[in-house]
Amino acid sequence: MSEAFTREDLLRRAVAGGALLSVPGLLAACGGSSKSAATTTTTVSTTLPQTIVWSNWPLYIDVKGKRHPSLDQFQAHYGVKVRYIEDINDNDSFFGKIEGPLSQGQSTGRDLIVLTDTSGLPGRMIELGWLEKLDKSAIPNIKNLQPIQQHPNWDPNREYSLPWQSGMTGIGYDPKLVGGDIDTLHQLLTDPKLKGKVTMLTEMADSMGVTMLANGDNPTKVTNATFDRAINTLQAAVNSGQIRQFTGNDYAPLLAKGDIYACLAWSGDMVQLQADHPGLKWVLPKDGGMLWTDNMLIPKGGHTYGASVLMNWYYSPTIAAEVADYVNYITPVVGADKVLLKSDPAIAKNPLIFPTEEMLANLHQFDISAVNNVKYKKQFQALIGG
Amino acid sequence: MLHRRKGAIPYLLLAPGIAWLLVFFVLPMWYLGKMSLSEGLFPTFSFNWAWGNFSEAVSSYQTQFIRSGEYAAIATVIALAVSYPLAYWIAFRGGKWKNLFLLLVISPFFVTYLIRTLAWETILSDDGVVVNTLKWLHILPPDGRLLATSVAVIAGITYNFLPFMVLPLYVSLEQIDHRLIEAAEDLYASAPRAFYRVTLPLSLPGVFAGVLLTFIPAAGDFINAQLLGTPRQYMIGNVIQSEFLAVRDYPTAAALSFVLMAAILVIVLIFAKVLGTERLTVAA
Amino acid sequence: MRWIKHHLLTGYAILALIYLFLPITVVVAFSFNDPKGRFNYTWSGFTLDNWLHPFDVPGPQSALEVSIEIAFLAALIATVLGTLIALALVRYKFRGSGSTNMLIFIPMTTPEVVMGASLLTLFVNWVVPQGFGTILIAHILFNISFVVVTVRARLVGFDRHLEEAAMDLGANELVTFTRVTLPLIMPGIIAAGLLAFALSIDDFVITYFNAGSTITFPLFVWGAARVATPPQINVIGTAIFLIAITLMLGNIFLQNHREKKGAVPA
Repeated sequence: MSEAFTREDLLRRAVAGGALLSVPGLLAACGGSSKSAATTTTTVSTTLPQTIVWSNWPLYIDVKGKRHPSLDQFQAHYGVKVRYIEDINDNDSFFGKIEGPLSQGQSTGRDLIVLTDTSGLPGRMIELGWLEKLDKSAIPNIKNLQPIQQHPNWDPNREYSLPWQSGMTGIGYDPKLVGGDIDTLHQLLTDPKLKGKVTMLTEMADSMGVTMLANGDNPTKVTNATFDRAINTLQAAVNSGQIRQFTGNDYAPLLAKGDIYACLAWSGDMVQLQADHPGLKWVLPKDGGMLWTDNMLIPKGGHTYGASVLMNWYYSPTIAAEVADYVNYITPVVGADKVLLKSDPAIAKNPLIFPTEEMLANLHQFDISAVNNVKYKKQFQALIGG
Repeated sequence: MLHRRKGAIPYLLLAPGIAWLLVFFVLPMWYLGKMSLSEGLFPTFSFNWAWGNFSEAVSSYQTQFIRSGEYAAIATVIALAVSYPLAYWIAFRGGKWKNLFLLLVISPFFVTYLIRTLAWETILSDDGVVVNTLKWLHILPPDGRLLATSVAVIAGITYNFLPFMVLPLYVSLEQIDHRLIEAAEDLYASAPRAFYRVTLPLSLPGVFAGVLLTFIPAAGDFINAQLLGTPRQYMIGNVIQSEFLAVRDYPTAAALSFVLMAAILVIVLIFAKVLGTERLTVAA
Repeated sequence: MRWIKHHLLTGYAILALIYLFLPITVVVAFSFNDPKGRFNYTWSGFTLDNWLHPFDVPGPQSALEVSIEIAFLAALIATVLGTLIALALVRYKFRGSGSTNMLIFIPMTTPEVVMGASLLTLFVNWVVPQGFGTILIAHILFNISFVVVTVRARLVGFDRHLEEAAMDLGANELVTFTRVTLPLIMPGIIAAGLLAFALSIDDFVITYFNAGSTITFPLFVWGAARVATPPQINVIGTAIFLIAITLMLGNIFLQNHREKKGAVPA
């Protein structure tokens, strides 16, 4: 944890800067002019706002009773209030919600939001100029970022984003029902024993990514040829009745009840399922699995400095460990596992939460420009939409 | 007999509700209409009198349109079959517990849709009582299933809209004057005949309302197909959902929406003509 | 044989009610489940903990309060607006009744995504901050049509002679309306109100677009479902309608009491 700022320093600055409302608050008070682009000039502020508004997914931060200890600690340390709202429950829907104000040059009323890279939206927002650049001078802890996360194809220098949590996409299955182990997508898609008992994901990056890897293609650089090949592979499995459904995370109850035997599954879900069903297994396919990441972003009009300081807080290994201990997804912060080794070794040693070097080498990230390609989108929607 | 009185009364009654609809529905629809005639890629769309959007929408998604109509129609018929006796029973035999039973019919809605559907996934599970019984009765093949089939989707739609069918039926049945039925029976009509000649016709407004309230939203539904079905069961609602949110092709989404709305209206008008709604919407 | 015929209907009604309540029983059952993980998909063991600490998970409580408030207000306002429209449409012949009919039907045919997103566009264009107010507006909007159709079914079959009789006896229009018409169409109005309440409390898509950062119960559940389905959600759902049923039972007993005292018959 960086002690560069003492608490007194910050408090003094905050008071000196006056009770500076965050930019969104100001806009709301003025009833904002809808068409002017005036709101988007970032005042490079180095004082903390009174309140930081953070939208996140539900149950995605540490919880103790009704409170979030890591947030309470932040608020105590900096004297800044965080309004934490769990109103993101789907990338596209949330984007649909904020694109209205953003396209009109209005603020979204939020300083920090969390969106998934594989939805294509963080990349898209950068293209559209709807994100503020991080104030990296306020984020010295960025040095703790996992190497695999440092240069994503859609934000190569991490100027606009920092990972919040990650997950792996691999194969989840019930060995008893499958009658053995599975380690390739090919088996998932063609083994007659599994007919009608397999699901894939509606998330294009996951389903297409894993399929491309199985076809020997590179998902990080998608071409028309590789995309078509993957579509054809999946289409064949759909037509034969092998694939029962394309799901969001509602494959989980099906797997738990044995309605499906195997599926593309996310590591975080498996951790929860295995608590009640220790027999269930999860593996990265031999040809490789996918890594997806939920990223912290600052929407245009958000308080850049405040949001950056908040991001920095969560990049200290101690705080990251607090969050990882509860959320059980993959933290992007190096060193968190060492902290947990002392307090909660079971979590620290769980490869689904702290993947091994071998696993990390076999993980790939999907080409985000492909996700945002309308032609590809329609092809994929046609595949999963009948 | 109608009040033919000229005068502000009908307009006054209508004013607040219609104003609400005009501002919060018609106006957005106007914007949507402009979008349906636009072209372009997100986020820049330009209005272009692009009538082609409509023909493209219909031709690309014909299957889903027809499927939606089918599913909605089947679900409506089943809902009617299930609801009519239930509504009849509550209205005629419910006594002072009528409102309680009405509440019972509505109450499943108080439990959020997602949890209800999860419960159905448990009930219709491949290894559950229902499926096993159906297999034992040879209605389902040994490797058959209910979930992820059109049966599950239609069942889901039916269940979801059951209260929409029960309530208007009840409302209509409840106010039938029992003396009319008694009179018919006094005139030597048997109970079934009295029902057919007296009760049923008098309950038609309720039937009409119930069918509308069920069929119309069912045709545009997407969530049942999403959770209980496979890609092969996807309805036009799913397409609109994905065009809007995932593909973000707003002109296509808007055009599809208008085509859907128009199609439903046409079906409703035909249905109304068949039922002779002139009698239904105008007091005799 | 007579016995069977007479009770056939009752038997059928009971079957229908069982069908309606089948998933609810599962939901109630799983509210007592004790999963070790965060998902509540399979049975792990019985516990009363969830019922003793229903609001242990942060989020549902305030979300629930918001949902109930909105549902109540939306049902109330939509029922009033819708009943007025229904009265006008059924009782009066006026210019524009055809278009009014259209205007009532079309919202019901509109897909939720479209209605939600287009309404949001309006709010954004007018710079209306999204939150409780906009959710309420949206809910009232989609409820009006349903109320109109429901109340209208009641009005259409209504026996006008009763009104004529009252007026023959000297009552003016207003008195006739409040003392004769209104009580008699009340069951239709109550049914419409109940429907509106149910629609509102369960709405997801339209609410989502217009909620800003306000969270209703369905929004919370859908969002949480990505990582967890805590049994407390089942507890809350069950509790809501247990409360509703209790209130209704209370209403019945109150009515009985009034009847016994010789007041207005049910």
